Amino acid sequence: MATLHDGIVQPHQTRGDLRIDCDVVVVGSGAGGATTAATLAEAGLRVVVLEEGAAYTTAEYSADIPEMLGKLMRGGGSTVMMGRSPVPYLEGRCVGGTTVVNGGMCWRTPEHVLDAWVTERRLGHLSAQRLEPYFELVEQVIDARFQDPGSEGGVNDRFKAGADALGWKLSRNRRNQRHCVGSNDCVTGCPSGAKRSTAETWLPRFYAAGGRLFTHMKVERVLTQRGRATGVAGTLLDPYAKRRFRIEARAVVLSCGAIQTPLLLQKNRLGKPCGHVGRHFTIHPNIKMAARFDTPVDSMRGTHQAWQCVEFKETDGILLAPGAIPLAFMSAVFPSFGPRLAERMRDYRYIATGGILVDDHAEGYVKSVLGLPIIHYDVTDADQAKFVRAAALMAELYFAAGANEVYTPFHHLPIIESPDAIAKLYAHPPRVQDTEYFTAHLMGTCRMSSHPKAGVVDPNGEMWDVAGLYVADAGTMPGTIGVNPQVTIMALARVIAERLADRLGRKVPRAAGEAVTAAA
Amino acid sequence: MSSNFAFRGYTRRVARAVVDAMVPRWPEFEADLTDDVLEQVEDFTRNYPPFVRFGVVAMLYGLEFSGPLVLDGLKPTSMLDREAAIARLEKVADHPIPQIRMMVMLPKIMVSFSAYSRPEVETFLGAPRRAWRANRKAFRDRLVQIDARRGADPATPEPLVDAGVRPEDYLRFEPTPA
Ligand SMILES: Cc1cc2nc3c(=O)[nH]c(=O)nc-3n(C[C@H](O)[C@H](O)[C@H](O)COP(=O)(O)OP(=O)(O)OC[C@H]3O[C@@H](n4cnc5c(N)ncnc54)[C@H](O)[C@@H]3O)c2cc1C
Ligand code: SF4
Repeated sequence: MATLHDGIVQPHQTRGDLRIDCDVVVVGSGAGGATTAATLAEAGLRVVVLEEGAAYTTAEYSADIPEMLGKLMRGGGSTVMMGRSPVPYLEGRCVGGTTVVNGGMCWRTPEHVLDAWVTERRLGHLSAQRLEPYFELVEQVIDARFQDPGSEGGVNDRFKAGADALGWKLSRNRRNQRHCVGSNDCVTGCPSGAKRSTAETWLPRFYAAGGRLFTHMKVERVLTQRGRATGVAGTLLDPYAKRRFRIEARAVVLSCGAIQTPLLLQKNRLGKPCGHVGRHFTIHPNIKMAARFDTPVDSMRGTHQAWQCVEFKETDGILLAPGAIPLAFMSAVFPSFGPRLAERMRDYRYIATGGILVDDHAEGYVKSVLGLPIIHYDVTDADQAKFVRAAALMAELYFAAGANEVYTPFHHLPIIESPDAIAKLYAHPPRVQDTEYFTAHLMGTCRMSSHPKAGVVDPNGEMWDVAGLYVADAGTMPGTIGVNPQVTIMALARVIAERLADRLGRKVPRAAGEAVTAAA
Repeated sequence: MSSNFAFRGYTRRVARAVVDAMVPRWPEFEADLTDDVLEQVEDFTRNYPPFVRFGVVAMLYGLEFSGPLVLDGLKPTSMLDREAAIARLEKVADHPIPQIRMMVMLPKIMVSFSAYSRPEVETFLGAPRRAWRANRKAFRDRLVQIDARRGADPATPEPLVDAGVRPEDYLRFEPTPA
C-alpha cells in the first residue's frame, strides 16, 4: 500500500492547538498554491501550505463515485451558482485541489488575450514573450504532452471523424499525464497514476525543498496589523477534537480558488476599498451534447478529451470538444429520469458525449452574505445565441460522423433526429432559462491590475489594499482566457512567487534544463 | 465534514417515493434499486453543507406537494402508486416554468449518480468500470516498466510497438464474465 509523502502532516500527527512561525504561509494546494509554494521553498524560504481537504494516494481513488465526490469535492459536488439558469460547478477540496479532479488539458493563454492584457490593462510583464519561459517551465514540470497513440477511444474517434468529414480544424490536446491509459475517470481522481496533478508534480518539489503541507486546515481569518498581513488562523478539521491553529508569517498567499479566496477576503472585510473583490467573475460556461451511433462507441474506454475543434474559436469564440465521461455522469447529461432515462441509457455503449465552451462576455459575482456564499452568474443573450449556433454546429459534426440522433441540453428540443431538424434550433432558439449549463473554469474575482482602482492585486500579486497579502490562483486572471486555465494559473503563480521571493531577499534557483529566466 | 444527517419519519417516506419514481428499471434487470439508492442519496446529502441539505429536503417536499402545480390533484406524491408518481414527476420536469422544473434537478442528479454508479448497473449496461480500472492499472504498470527498461520517457509519445504494445491494442479489454 502506497503511503503519503513525509512532507504531508495530518491531524493525527499533531496535538492540541497549533502555532507555527514561517516566512510564507500559502493557503490552498491546487494549481496556484502548489506552484507558488514550490517556487518559494526552492528559493530557500520557510514555507507552510495549509489545505482544507485531505490527502489521498492513487490507490485511494476508488470506483465509488458518490464516495469520491464526498471526499474530493467541496460540498460533496453539490455546488451551484444562481442566475436565470442555475449552473452547477465543481471545486476540488483535497491536496492538489481541483487539479486532482480536472480533465488534464493543457493550453497556454492565447496570444491575443495576452496582447490585450498588455495593451488594455497595461500589464507589460504578462506579454507572450515574457511569459514564454514560464509556460515552458510549467509544461515541463506537469508533463504536458500528447496522448499515447491508441489511447483516445471511441468518443474522441467519432468526434474526429465528424470534424474531418466537414474539413473543420482540430487541435490535438496536450494533457498533464504520463501514459494516460484511457480509464476515463479523471473527475474522481486518476486511478492509474497517469495524471500529473499538483499532488504529483509541484508538491513533491515543495516537500523536497523542505516545505510542509498541513491537511484539514480550514483558514478562516487573515491576521493583520496596521494594514499589513501577518498570518492566518482557523480551525483544524479534526473529527475527534475541536482544535485551532495560528500561523505567523512575513507574507500570506491566498490560493483558495476563484470562489473561496474572495469569500475569505470578504468575511475578513479585506480589500473593500478597491471595490473589486468577488467581481468580474467569468466561468467559460459550457453545455453538454451527446449523440447515438449505430455501432458501439464504448465511452468507458478512452481518454477524456484528445482534441478540440478550433474551427470557430477565433471567429466566433466557440470551442467544440469531445468529452468522455463515466456512465453515472452521462446519466446526468440527459434531462430525464426513471423509465425515460433508463431507456436512453440502455443505449449507453452507442452514445458519445461532448461539450461546447464559449468565450463569455458576462461577469458574475461572488459574495458572502451573513456567512453564506452567494455565487451569481447570468449567461447573456448574446452568449446564448453563440450556444445555439454552437449546438447546431456540434449536431452537424455528429451527423457527419454517422450519428442517428443528437441530444441537446435544451428543454424544448432535447433530441435532434436528423440533419434537417437542426434548423429547428434557429426557428425556436432556446432561452437561457431553458438550457442546462455546467462550468469547470472559475476565474477573475481578484483580478490583477496596473492601477489600484481597476483590480484587487497589483502586478506582483500583492493586494492593493493590504501589504504582505498576495493572491495566486484563478482569481488573479485579469480577464477571461477562452481556454482551459490550469497552465495560465500556474504560469501567473510562478511570476507572483518569483517576485515575492525577490522581495523577501531570495532568488529562485534554476534546475539544470529549466527554461525560466528571472522575472523582470 | 459530514454530519449525522438521516431522512427520518415522514421525510424518509417522501424521499423514498421520489427515489422509487426515479431509479432505473429494465425488464431483464431483476434487482430493485430503491432502498440501496435511497441510502446512497442519504449519504450524498450527509456530505452536503447544511444549507444545501436544507435545500434537498425542501425540494423533496416541493415534489411531495407538487400535485396542484401540475394540475394533478391534491394527493401527496408519496401516496400515489409508482406509475402515477412517475407521471407526476415527469409533469414537473416538463413544466414550462423553469423554477418549477428546478425542483427535480438536484434529486434527479443524486438518484442518477447513485443508481448509474452501482456495479450491477454498470455491468448490465456494458460498462464494467471496476474491471476496466483494474485492467488499466495493470496495463499502465506494464508501460512504466517498459519505459524503465528502455530508459525512455518520450515527451512526444511513440507507439510502444517494439515492446509489443500496438495502438490498435491499447484499449483492448475482454472482461471475464461475472
Ligand atoms: C471537472 C473539472 C475539469 C477541469 N478540467 C480542466 C482541464 O482539463 N484543464 C485545465 O486547464 N483546467 C481544468 N479545470 C480547471 C482547473 O483545474 C482549475 O481552474 C484550477 O485547478 C484552479 O486552480 P486554483 O489554484 O485557482 O484553485 P484549486 O485548484 O481549486 O485549489 C484551491 C485549493 O484551496 C483549498 N482551500 C480553499 N479554501 C480554503 C481555506 N479556507 N483553507 C484552506 N484551504 C482552502 C481547496 O481545498 C483547494 O484544494 C477543470 C476543473 C474541473 C472542476
Ligand atoms: S483518462 Fe484515466 S488514465 Fe487518463 S488521466 Fe484520466 S483518469 Fe487517468
